[in-house]
Formats: sequence, C-alpha cells, structure tokens
Amino acid sequence: MGAYLAGRVAQAIAVVFGVTIIVFIILHALPGGPARGMLGPEASAQQVQQFIVANGYNKPLVVQYGRFLDQLVHGNLGYSYQYNQTVLSLLGQDLPKSALLLGLSYLVALVIAIPLGILQALRRNSVVDYVVTGASFIAYSMPSFWLGILLILGFAVSWRLLPAEAPQGATVAAVLHDPLAMVLPVMTLALVTIAAFSRFMRSSAIENLLQDYIRTARAMGVPERTILFRHLFRNSVIPIITLIGLSLPVTISGAVITESVFNYPGMGLLIWNAATSHDFPVLLGSTVVVATATVVGSMLADVLYAVADPRVRLS
Amino acid sequence: MSIRARRRLRRLLSAASGIAAGALLVAACSGGSGNSGTGGKPGTPVSGGVATFALPAGATPDWIFPFIDSAHSSIDNRNQFEYLMYRPLYWFGQNGQPVLNDELSLADPPVYGNGDKTVTITLKNYRWSNGEAVTAQDVAFWLNMLTAEKQNWAYYVPGGLPDNLSGYKIDSQSTITLSFKSAYNPDYFTANELSQITPLPMAWDKTSASTAGSCATTVSSCPAVWQYLYSQAKQVSTYATSPLWQVVDGPWRLAGYQTTGYSAFKPNPKYSGPVKPKLSEFIEEPFTTESAELNVLRSGQISVGYLPVTDISQEQLIAGSGYSLSPWLDAGINYFPENFNNPTVGPIFRQLYFRQALQHLINQPEYISKIWQGYATPTYGPVPVDPPNPYIDSYEKANPYPFSVSAARQLLTSHGWTVRPNGATTCTSPGTGSSDCGAGIAAGAKLSFSLLYASGITEVSQEMQALQSTASQVGIVLNLSQAPFDQVISNSVPCKPSQASCSWQLDNWGGGWSYSMDHFPNGDLIFGTGAGDNFGSYSSATADSLITATDHETGTLPADENYLAANLPAVFMPKADYQLTEVQNKLQGVTPQEPTFNIAPESWYFTK
Repeated sequence: MGAYLAGRVAQAIAVVFGVTIIVFIILHALPGGPARGMLGPEASAQQVQQFIVANGYNKPLVVQYGRFLDQLVHGNLGYSYQYNQTVLSLLGQDLPKSALLLGLSYLVALVIAIPLGILQALRRNSVVDYVVTGASFIAYSMPSFWLGILLILGFAVSWRLLPAEAPQGATVAAVLHDPLAMVLPVMTLALVTIAAFSRFMRSSAIENLLQDYIRTARAMGVPERTILFRHLFRNSVIPIITLIGLSLPVTISGAVITESVFNYPGMGLLIWNAATSHDFPVLLGSTVVVATATVVGSMLADVLYAVADPRVRLS
Repeated sequence: MSIRARRRLRRLLSAASGIAAGALLVAACSGGSGNSGTGGKPGTPVSGGVATFALPAGATPDWIFPFIDSAHSSIDNRNQFEYLMYRPLYWFGQNGQPVLNDELSLADPPVYGNGDKTVTITLKNYRWSNGEAVTAQDVAFWLNMLTAEKQNWAYYVPGGLPDNLSGYKIDSQSTITLSFKSAYNPDYFTANELSQITPLPMAWDKTSASTAGSCATTVSSCPAVWQYLYSQAKQVSTYATSPLWQVVDGPWRLAGYQTTGYSAFKPNPKYSGPVKPKLSEFIEEPFTTESAELNVLRSGQISVGYLPVTDISQEQLIAGSGYSLSPWLDAGINYFPENFNNPTVGPIFRQLYFRQALQHLINQPEYISKIWQGYATPTYGPVPVDPPNPYIDSYEKANPYPFSVSAARQLLTSHGWTVRPNGATTCTSPGTGSSDCGAGIAAGAKLSFSLLYASGITEVSQEMQALQSTASQVGIVLNLSQAPFDQVISNSVPCKPSQASCSWQLDNWGGGWSYSMDHFPNGDLIFGTGAGDNFGSYSSATADSLITATDHETGTLPADENYLAANLPAVFMPKADYQLTEVQNKLQGVTPQEPTFNIAPESWYFTK
C-alpha cells in the first residue's frame, strides 16, 4: 500500500507539473497579451511597455516559467495585478466558498441519488423506474448554465420564492448567513450530479442484486432491510466513490459556470474574471489548485475504493 | 435597513407632518442640480434605504488611491468608486451634458488671468471627514505628487500637466494660482487639465504609518509618500478599514469591500458639500456576465441595473417588474482606424477621396435603427453629436458624408479607378493628377483590404457585415476576420511602414474613444501626429496646427472639429449608448446620467 501510494503521489506531481507547462504555454500563446488586456485601448504604448517590463513578460518564456516554478515550490503562486493581492490570499478567500458550494451540491446529490438508484434497481422496469430514468436523462443532458437559468426563471422571477443570485458574502460564514440564496446554485449543480450518480447507482445495484451473495442471504432468511443496507448498499456504492473522484474536474468546471450564472463570488468567479482580464498569475495559480484537487481526488477515490471493498487490495 | 426599520421610519416620517417630507422633497429635487432629474414617477421621498448599483459585467473596482496609474485606471475605479469618496477639484457632468458642474466642484470656477497664462483657483468651504479643511495646500500636494510621479499618473501626456506649469503660488488657505509656460485656452485647460486634479488630504502626507512626509510642500519628498500610499492601496483587503482611506471629502465613505469589487458605501456624516446623501447605504455589486445581471434585474433585486442591447426585447418585461429604461450616453465617438502607414494599402488610405468614399458607404442612421435598436448615436467627427454639448458645430452635426453608394462610386471613378461591383475595383489611372489614383498607388492596385474586428459583440459583427456588403457594390473588398478585443487593440498600434507590426490594415475594436477625462473634444490624443493613441498614424499638418490652436486660443475648436470631420482621420461609426440603465421606479434622482460616467448617488432617494 505504501509503495502504491508513493507511486501515485509521484504520478500526481508529474501530472500537475505537466498541467502547469501546458497552461503556461497556452496562456502565453493567447493573442493580445496581458498588458493590453489590463490597460485597455487608451493606454499609451509607453505604459504598455512599462507594464510588460514590470511584470517580466519581456523575458523568454523559459525564464518566465522557471520563475513561476521557483515561486511555486516556495509556496508562492504569484501576485494578481488586477486584484493587487497575492494569488494565495485570493484563493484563500474564494476557494472555501467554492468548496462549500461543491460540498453541499455533492452532499445533496449523494443523499438523493443513492436511494434513488437503489429504488430504481428494486423497481426496475416499473413506472417509477421509467419516470426517474427519463428525468435523469433530461437533467444529465442539460448544460448547467441552462438549468440554472431555468431555475432562476421559475423560482426567482416567476414565483419569487428564492433569490436570483447567490449570497454575496466575503466569507463562508457570511455565505451561510443567507442560506436561501444558496438553494438555487446548489440545486443546479446537484441536479446534474444526481442524474449521473443515480444512473450509476441503479446499474451497480441491479448488478449486485443478481449476485449469489444476495440470493444466498435471501435463501437464509436474512431480513430484506438487512440485505439492502448491509449487503446491497455497501457493495453498490463502491463505483460511486470512484465516480466522485473522477467527476471532480467536470463538477469544478460546472461550478465555474454555475458561479457565473448566480454571480457567486467563489473560485469560478475568480477564474472567470481572471480569464477575461488576462490575469495570468491568477489563471496559473487557480489551474494548479484545480489540477491538484483533481489528482488528489482521484487518488483518494482509489484509496477509498480499497477501504470500501476488502476484495480490492492494492499492490 | 430591514423592512421593519423602514416601516418604523415611514411611520415616524408621516407623524412628523408633511413639513419634513416637503422639505426633504425640496432638498432632494433642488439640491441635486448635479444630478437634478428624477428617474421614474414622482412620489413621496423617504429618507434611508439601500440602493444597489449593478456594475458592468466584468467591472471590478479594485483601486482606491486617486492618484491613479495606468494599470488601475478605469471608469469603475475612478468615476464610480474613488469619486464617491475623494472629489475631483472640478466635477464634469451636469444634466446629462459633459460640462463643468459648478455646484459639485470643490472650487469656484477657475479665473484665468495674465493673458490666460495663469489660473486662480478658489476652494469652497469643504472639509475632510477628519475635520480638516480642504485647502489650497491639498491641491499643491496633488501638483507636487504629479511633478514627482508623472509617469505613474495614468493621464500624463508629455507637454501637459505638469510639464506646462511654470509654477504655482498659494495665495491663501483657500486660493492657489497656477502659472503656465504659455497661454492656454481656458476651456481646454479647465476641461482637460484642471478636471484631473483631486486634492489630497494632509493625512496622506506620510512615508509610513507613523512618519509624516512633506510632499504637500516639497516635491523631492513625494516619491517616498507615493511609495507609501501606493503600497497601502495594494492592500485591497484594508480598503474599508484603513484609517488612511477613511479620510474623505466626498459624500460617501467605504464601509465594506470585497476583492470581487463588491463595495458598500455609507454616508460621510461630516460631508460638507451641497447634496447630502439620503440613502442609508449605497452598494456597488459586480457581475460576471450581463446574463447574471439580467437574471437579478428580472427578479427585481437591484435598484439600478442595465439591460443588454441584445435583450432589448425584454424591456416590457423588466418594466413590468417596476423599472424604467434610461439610456446612458457617454461623451465619446466611435471610429475605427485605417493604418495610414501600412506599406501596401497605406497610400490608398492617405487619399482623402478614398476615405470620403468609404465614409459614404456607412449607413449610420440604418445601423442605429436596425442593428442598435435605436440605442446608439452617430459619429461624424471628433466631437460627439450626442449627448447635447456646447462643443458640437453645425457642420459636423449635419453629417458631411451621408450614406450614398452613388457618391462613393463617383469619387472612385473620378480618381482613376475602374469600379467593379462585386469584384475588386482597380486603379487604371495611376499618378498624382486630380483625376488619378494618387501618390504611391500603382496601376492595377485593387481596393481589397483586411478588416479585423472584435469578436463577441453581435452588433459590431452585423455592422461589419453590412459594410462589407455595401462596399462590394463599388468593388471595395473587405476581408473580414474576428479576434478577441484584446488582440484587436494589441494589433492596431501606431507603426512605421518598415515595422512588422505595420501589416494591419483596418482594425475595429468596437469602442472608439470616450472623452472621460479629456472633456474638451479636440481629438488631440487620438488624431494628433505622434499621439500615443493615434492608432492609424494619421498625420496632417493642418490638423496638428488646428489642434494646437485649440489648446491655446479660445474659440478655435470649431475649425479643428470641422477640419477633422471633413478630413476623416478614421472611419466614423455609430457610438453605442454606454448602457441601457434600468432604474427602479421607486428610486429617484438617478437620471439624467452624466456622460462623464460620474455617478452621484447622494442625489438618489427612494419614494413611497
């Protein structure tokens, strides 16, 4: 297990390193460059040049990348010239709020999707199964921004039950102070996730229901409730663990869009604003964080998979 | 303020008889001559309330130090953030016109003397929130800072302030006299130079939190003071708490700030200006996209928002939610430059007849009505046609080059070109005679150009396609391509023919120019030879001399304006309204909106 973990950590570092190279090259290949993006059309050529030199964009790409790596290993993700703050402090402010949004949406998704999937498996090919399957397909095929707008139109504009935008608080505590405003963003992310997870849960549960150990348990007179909770649930939920790890990048990108739709001041908004203003340090820093979260998530999923399923042993 | 508190306040107000309400109404409606109009339907004013102002999508106020550098200079930082707290010496914008607003200015109108070689500024009786008076020394503090740190002032233009200053003299606590190296046109100097001055409080004359500086009196000590203030301004998270930034002379102080740009302002209780805030709080809220803002607007959760032009069909829906639409025009012009120095097609662009032909092909009235849904104004020269302003002359206003395909064809055929509709018109009479193609244009040269325009703006794309279609009728081939805004503005740089960067031909970034800090619209920064923002490298000795005259002599603007309108230094296009503002009907005092982008929420008030 230790060797396996060490290998996975090394692999993860290599992936993050590779991601930084790719992102660095792509960012610098973007037309326009950061100077004009930041200073606008009315800035003089002299001011543009001053900005380029001040931020080291006149140096060769390799030198710039080397400087970035050097800062990175020293825990410095750079300085945002748009926000006049270190990228680390910006992430420190916004990452927890995004984590809250993601965490809540995953929680809601799991609480609904797992029972739903099991219910579908137990009632497969029934009306309930068909209705839930249809609804899942609709939700799954819907882009999150579209779903968000529909929810806003329904719950905020037409019925005026919920706010159209997410809480504008600067901290997680401030965000939690306005829980009603979190409902629509969380539901937007959760609905798509529910659709995906419930489908997997259904398949997994159906597969397990056909296994010998379920039949044996039933033949031995084990109560149905015990079979469901002790045997079926634990074995069926294993693929979901992997799925959470693998779906992290998709969910984070969904969060970027959802945060934009609901004007939620999280990492998505930070990345969005950085992208539109060519704030390279923030884009690089947030990419590193997202890449790290993804590989760590994937790694954790593998480990949890082994914990959840004693048959799986990593060597 | 909570609903309960508002109700309590309402009860109190009604109990206090109509006199108080009447007085408030008089104060609200007469006191705000800087922004004296009313938004929606009139109603009984109530004191207090929180007004939320939607910032343009992507706009993030993120700089508080009013001696602003180019990296932070923006409308969101300057006009709609800093000016709420730190008032400029002279406020521009009154009743929707880009003119000096005497009432909201910190000083009386400037008095020019000595053949317009001096100007005397007399400050009114304003006070900083720490109790100190706003004095001539505060103006000197700014001037000294500018002298020492002109490269860090976003609006520094070589030859302008402080280069053109021979000195200044503090006559009294409230009076300062500036002397120039040569005579200046008072209209120009007030609008383009004095308007940029923001008095700085003595509380900011520091080199560290505990060490006093002497920039207010000694230029040489200004770099250290600037360094300190700049370093403090970089600490964004302290904006709402730092004692430094809480010293204000404007009607508002910053009470809450987030790095997203979300800003909460509370009234400055010691504000000594003429229009006291009536709201209990003013909030500026940033938005990621126009769609996000529109969603919030539709749900009625914002006091002053905006409707994207592409969503104009929703105007009635928004009106049903209790809003009134009010287009916000800025004092600006729209144009896109031809690259006069392009080695291939530059000689064609240098021919006035060709520029006239191209301008004749632009159907501005139709673009405005069909593409911009009426929410744009025409541009016929360097001076904005709209909003109303004292600078526009009848010649420019009459549109020297109205839409006419036949006029364009005539201009080309009479100058040696064989017009090939839907093909490429060719020069068949090279030479420099009056009926020839012109200098530098060879026989067989074709009227075929690349035109790069900013992507992502549907209306600009439609305009370019319309122009392409019309131009083809006289055989002018426009090869359209799109690129992100940043790329277009990076591409369209002033250049020399020998430079690789000079390959661009026509570039349209879609925004033109706003006279947001240079209120006197003589076109010096964009059409003067060698000007940093003269992207197309237009050069005319006549224009330069006329521009110079506007800087120094009164009454010379019409000649400059009309020459540029006739000489076409760029392709003039309709200027889209800055914003289609939606104002909650219960909020008054928001309109007319100032074409200088300044906002004065101290004039705003809610009604029952």
